[in-house]
Amino acid sequence: MRTSLGVLLALAVAAAALAAGASAGHRVAKVTTVTLTGWASSPAETASLQDTIAAFEKAYPAIKVNYSPINGDYATSMIAKFAARTPPDVFYVDSSVFPDWAKQGALLPLDGYVKKTHFNTTAFYPKLLNAFRYQGHLYGFPKDWSSLGIEVNSAMMAKAGITSAPKTWADLNADATKLNNTNAVPGGKPVCLSADWARLGAFVFQNGGSFLNATKTAATWNTPQVAGAVNYYLSYIQRGLAATPAQLGVGWCGEALGKQKAAIIMEGPWVQPYMSSTFPDVGYKVYPMVSKGPTKGFGNWAFTVSYSIGRDSPHKNQAWTLLSYLTGPKGMKVWTSKGVAMSSRSDVKPLPSQQPFALAAPYSHPWQFAPGFHTVTDQAGNELQAVFDGKESVATMLQNIQSLATTALHGG
Amino acid sequence: MRTIATRLRPGKRGAATVGGARLREALVGYAFVLLPMAVFGVFFLYPIGYAIYISFFDWGIYGKIASVGTHNYHYLFHDHVFGLALKNTLFFTFTVVPIQMALGLAMAIVVNQKIRGRAFFRSAFYFPSLTSSAAITAIAIFILNADGLLNKIVGGHTPWFENESTALWSIVGLISWTTSGTMMLFYLAALQSIPTDVYEAAAIDNTGTWRTFWKITFPLLKPAHFFVAVVSVIGAMKVFDQAFIVSHGTGGPNNSTMTMVLYLYRTAIYDVHFGRAAAMGVLLLVIIMAFTLIQRIAFGRPEVQ
Repeated sequence: MRTSLGVLLALAVAAAALAAGASAGHRVAKVTTVTLTGWASSPAETASLQDTIAAFEKAYPAIKVNYSPINGDYATSMIAKFAARTPPDVFYVDSSVFPDWAKQGALLPLDGYVKKTHFNTTAFYPKLLNAFRYQGHLYGFPKDWSSLGIEVNSAMMAKAGITSAPKTWADLNADATKLNNTNAVPGGKPVCLSADWARLGAFVFQNGGSFLNATKTAATWNTPQVAGAVNYYLSYIQRGLAATPAQLGVGWCGEALGKQKAAIIMEGPWVQPYMSSTFPDVGYKVYPMVSKGPTKGFGNWAFTVSYSIGRDSPHKNQAWTLLSYLTGPKGMKVWTSKGVAMSSRSDVKPLPSQQPFALAAPYSHPWQFAPGFHTVTDQAGNELQAVFDGKESVATMLQNIQSLATTALHGG
Repeated sequence: MRTIATRLRPGKRGAATVGGARLREALVGYAFVLLPMAVFGVFFLYPIGYAIYISFFDWGIYGKIASVGTHNYHYLFHDHVFGLALKNTLFFTFTVVPIQMALGLAMAIVVNQKIRGRAFFRSAFYFPSLTSSAAITAIAIFILNADGLLNKIVGGHTPWFENESTALWSIVGLISWTTSGTMMLFYLAALQSIPTDVYEAAAIDNTGTWRTFWKITFPLLKPAHFFVAVVSVIGAMKVFDQAFIVSHGTGGPNNSTMTMVLYLYRTAIYDVHFGRAAAMGVLLLVIIMAFTLIQRIAFGRPEVQ
């Protein structure tokens, strides 16, 4: 009898406490949950993002973030969500798919929010910000970015008697020749070069070339500048100073550096975690990308991803609050502080290890073409491979890509 | 079937009653097929019709953008990659189908014998068909890697799936192996429906095994050949998952694994040209229907058993 009375009493107290809690909860502003979607590259990256989200939720208690990354084919999932008119509130958009999604009207124009909340856009590197502008309107802000650098095997460079970083095309040529003459890379080649426009393109920019004109209305693939860059790049292979990853028996040039099958590679900051986790014993240095001359001919790729808001997002205002925090100075600082990503804002400084890549910000071009260009870039890759295999001339390749690109620009 | 029909058929009653019974019989029949037909209509006929409709438009994420008439079809007829995808798909079909049919028939004959461990072989041969194609392909990638199991055995360094000249052949081999189990099942069912008295007659006439196979078993399997060929061709024309997985969705190297359905998928998802992708689907439908008709003519009318 006494026990049941005790239970009853406890229940009553609990009920009272619950009621009090509920009414207290009501007095606080209503909590809105916004969904945040992207892809997860590594556990370290997910952890950094979760830190950033935690900092946001602390600063904005009325907004809760439901972070649900998509595993697998991101574009497929997102297009299905757009078509069903149930997109996530805030999500990643890669610069390469941005023109298609913006053209289709899947993304929310952000100019109004920028104006209303006096969001400072001048701190973003202009070239990165422009990657997310479509027909004069902003549809996203770069969450981070990366560029290409030069990574060298320290021991091999020392063996060849090279003491400083290759800065120009001439330096690169001299270093590759020295490495070759001193047989500093036994069982490999001095340089690893991919048959990939996402690498070769940097040399095209250094040579004053481009792929589309500034207004993205005409293809500029078939020009002497592009041809010159391709021939320069290819000459390393032809003279036996470089080899492709396939020729070296590796999956990509980072693996060639790790397996000591190449002394010089050109990859982005993603090489750093890969080397420290897979090949911690291989000593290497990171230098900025080469330029054509000592004072001019700079060029690089910018691989960047934005945070954007869905046109059919149910919580647009809260989504903007989240987006502007994540890409703002506070969020950017938390997100990039552990080195998983490089800041896209000039007011959030890169880590020392990121410096060689960050230097490229003023002259890096986004990895982006025009709507409907996936088929073109695929074919451009195939054509380049054919040139590397000696099955096609550079002139024919450029002509073919030029005509494909022109067709795509006219809507297919 | 015949016995039921005989029982239902009325005797020497009036013509009107006969008609009424016939009608009722027909109605009962239609009632039975109503639900499956409704499902078929909603999930097959309607989407096919809608795809044909979409194929005449520039169609984006949010639907209709502009009417383009037959432009999508025009574009495909001049599209180099579509030509390659069609060529790859036809090549794939013409190599995989004969291999599948031969393998399926051979395995069916083996497991139709009274041999020791018959149940084991039946399950073993059918097992690859049951396993998820994605899982099998993922394992095949490991085996056919540059330093994978196959190269260890043959002592080479060919990256089978990354080499332009071997990639499609590797998929042919992979799919022939995984799907011939299903073909075996079809053949096995047909083999077991051949009456034993014809074999007894052949045995009395002292006919050799080989002659028995070519003169009795093979011709009597004609309906099965037709069915297996049709199923196999349709499956082969729609090849997607293996090509998608081995090329990481690109159809590479150099479009050597670009199949029609993979190109359709890429056109829809990456280039967001749903109209053009729908046109590809319609062309694929027309090609498959044409093949089925040709096969039907080639094998003659399937005999009613």
